[in-house]
Amino acid sequence: MLRFAEIMKGAQLRLAMLALAVMMMIIVADVTMRYVFGSPIHGAYDIVEVSLLVFVFHGLSACFLARQNIVIDLIDNVVPLGVTRALVRMSDFLTVGLLALMIWAMISPAEQAFEYGDKKLELGLKLWILWTIAIAGLAGTLFCALGALAKPVVTSHGGERM
Amino acid sequence: MSNQWIGAFGVLALFALLFLRVPVWAALMLVGVVGNTIVGGWTSSFAILGTNAFDTSSAYTLSVIPLFILMGDVASSTRLSADLFNAARVLLSGVRGGLSVAAILASACFGAVCGSSVATAATMTRIALPEMRKAGYDDGLATGSVAAGGSLGILIPPSIILVIYAAIAEQSVPKLFAAALIPGLVLTAIYIAVALVVSHLRPEYAPTVSNVTWRERFDAMRQPWQFLLLFIATIGGIYAGVFSPTEAAAIGAFGAIMLGLLGKRLSWKQLVTAVEGTVITSALLFVIIIAATLFAYFIVQTQLPLLLSSFADSMNLSGLSVMLVIIAAYVIIGCFLEGIGMVLITVPVFLPLVVKFGYDPIWFSIIVVIVVELGLIHPPVGMNLFVIQAQAPDVKLTAIYRGIIPFLIAPFLLLALLIAFPEIALWLPKKLYG
Repeated sequence: MLRFAEIMKGAQLRLAMLALAVMMMIIVADVTMRYVFGSPIHGAYDIVEVSLLVFVFHGLSACFLARQNIVIDLIDNVVPLGVTRALVRMSDFLTVGLLALMIWAMISPAEQAFEYGDKKLELGLKLWILWTIAIAGLAGTLFCALGALAKPVVTSHGGERM
Repeated sequence: MSNQWIGAFGVLALFALLFLRVPVWAALMLVGVVGNTIVGGWTSSFAILGTNAFDTSSAYTLSVIPLFILMGDVASSTRLSADLFNAARVLLSGVRGGLSVAAILASACFGAVCGSSVATAATMTRIALPEMRKAGYDDGLATGSVAAGGSLGILIPPSIILVIYAAIAEQSVPKLFAAALIPGLVLTAIYIAVALVVSHLRPEYAPTVSNVTWRERFDAMRQPWQFLLLFIATIGGIYAGVFSPTEAAAIGAFGAIMLGLLGKRLSWKQLVTAVEGTVITSALLFVIIIAATLFAYFIVQTQLPLLLSSFADSMNLSGLSVMLVIIAAYVIIGCFLEGIGMVLITVPVFLPLVVKFGYDPIWFSIIVVIVVELGLIHPPVGMNLFVIQAQAPDVKLTAIYRGIIPFLIAPFLLLALLIAFPEIALWLPKKLYG
């Protein structure tokens, strides 16, 4: 499970990195074209939005697998290690539950986008494709969050052998 | 139970979850979803949950966040910060406390291309702290200068926190960046004054470093040309109206990469590491922003700010008193909550109240950033202090705590100045954008 989660994370991380590069390059090219040749790139705005969507939904898996989400760990200093570990586990399960809920909630608007044929304004790109990319990214993140369940809990007091 | 009280309980539940080590995004989302369900019903709450993440993650204006983070990450990987520190060090040689001042000045300049306090503090710890210790500086003064200087990274534009504030308060990013510039410079000046006063009162803390010739000073000033180029291209471009913030961020990130690669200051491996770091940092922020939007919707639905407003009215509190209570609340919250979370949780609650009492939301953004800065450096939990200690483990945490205390005067003094003279923040945006 953990190995597959690592592979998933690696693939999604690279996709997010590529999306970031595309985002940066398209804006630089658009600005250059606008100021130097007086003709901005058609669809640059849409490409940036699509790149950002890919970047966010596929960049999340690396954070979730490594449990890098921001937490307030003051309680670590006042409760025994066992309680801290239990709280981390509780957060892991809550994370999985919330990600699953998000995916479930995104299915209906994705179906509506497919049904009504909604498109991006400049490029005419079908929105259901973007919804599918987002849901796929979130599904990968959910898989990585499940992978985190198989990882030892590391707190500011130290780690746990599994 | 009225909706307003549901809102109040929602905020309490949020803090309880945060205290129980629930990740900030998960606590915000859980309270947001449950709260929206109680107030508006499951169907509406579920629909908002589904569309909110998609809309937030494809908002053109928010693409500025990863791009500015990338610029900062790349700038941190090159020797840009070292150039800045060396230039300031040489210029100030012969001045008692000069290295301390150089660290603050270099941090302020680095903040102008970085946008992150923690990154600025981490970078300057690696560069300035060894020099100060080698020169016989007191550990407290040395780390205090680096921690205080590092905190300037989120006030001096580009500031990631201001971009996030702009998104949730529906304000213009260029106006916020313009509003932050003068307070950032004033805070830098106050930090420098503190460093000089400490060095003067305790000369043994800051031995004088040998003087250099004017020729050497002139040569040193030419070193940080890359910083100047990036600053003029990005922030200058925004102020001049040549670029939008997103365009400036992309140009800045691209420029930092090209300068690094062409100048052989950035290897391919370092670039990949910087991009990976940007993905992770940005994704962490975006998931919190997505969750905070749900939470903000819940707060708006419950009209909680009205409850606070009627409470303030019933107590006959003036606008100034309300502002002081809010600042005190921020200082307390800053003891245990990190900056981005603090902004995302509190701004939806406090901003309507602040506006109702006649304060400008742009002015309030600067107040918020300063109290976040304060949270980064005040003991016992200031993040910059831990970053320094993590990179210099042989410096005792008690020395770091002792060293930062005189510098804490500066943000409080700036807050007082901003309350007395709001134009410090509002003059430049009015001048530039009307």
